[in-house]
Amino acid sequence: MSSRRSSRSRQSSGSSRISDDQISDLVTRLQHLIPELRRRRSDKVSASTVLQETCNYIRNLHREVDDLSDRLSELLATTDDNSGEAAIIRSLLNY
Amino acid sequence: MNTYNMVKQEFIKKWITTLHMLDSSVEHPLNVTERKNAIRLSSDIAMAATRSGATIWSRALISRTRKYTTTCKPVAHRILKKARNRMKNRCTTITRNGIFGAKMRVRKRTELLKSLVPGGELIYDKDYLIRETLDYIVYLQAQVDVMRTVAAIDSVTRDLS
Repeated sequence: MSSRRSSRSRQSSGSSRISDDQISDLVTRLQHLIPELRRRRSDKVSASTVLQETCNYIRNLHREVDDLSDRLSELLATTDDNSGEAAIIRSLLNY
Repeated sequence: MNTYNMVKQEFIKKWITTLHMLDSSVEHPLNVTERKNAIRLSSDIAMAATRSGATIWSRALISRTRKYTTTCKPVAHRILKKARNRMKNRCTTITRNGIFGAKMRVRKRTELLKSLVPGGELIYDKDYLIRETLDYIVYLQAQVDVMRTVAAIDSVTRDLS
């Protein structure tokens, strides 16, 4: 408990709506998922930082899906009837 | 095979199905924008269907995409969402300092997170929101990985033909 008395964690304990236990659980699991958080120690990361990095990560993934949709539509634009390529893709993805 | 690979494989099967469904329901030929929207739409539906009805985000995503036919504009929707998020970030920087700044930051960023996760605005319990977020991220990553693979394969086969 005494480790939570540092100035950084004072911001996230009690007064915020997310509890410390939830934060440490969230940080542990997010650290596996989010590159930005992997290099920071869990006791030094504040609630707002975790939320911010999570939001940034989700936004980047959204943007990437959008860009990939763009790219795929351009790649497929030249031939409408690309049953040959579709067959190749399908067999390559059947792992 | 680990869980993540199973998710990706399931997503691929669902995506092929949704692509076929959309393909047979639209009028060919499509222009690039219509094709892009169809690809995006089918991908999102497939991602939500892979998770099926067990999470709020997957149900919200399905109901959100149901509103759009291929002639509508999911792209405009995203642009509007991004604009709204930029406004929220501007409000956050004003109250950056002090303890009240910290509370405000957490609250603002929680609101932001709710707007990014489908159905997030319906979730009041913080613990639930966090669990939905973690679940959603895994499936988002799978969607991106698969689409990236398909785009790479497609450009390679194109170079070879």
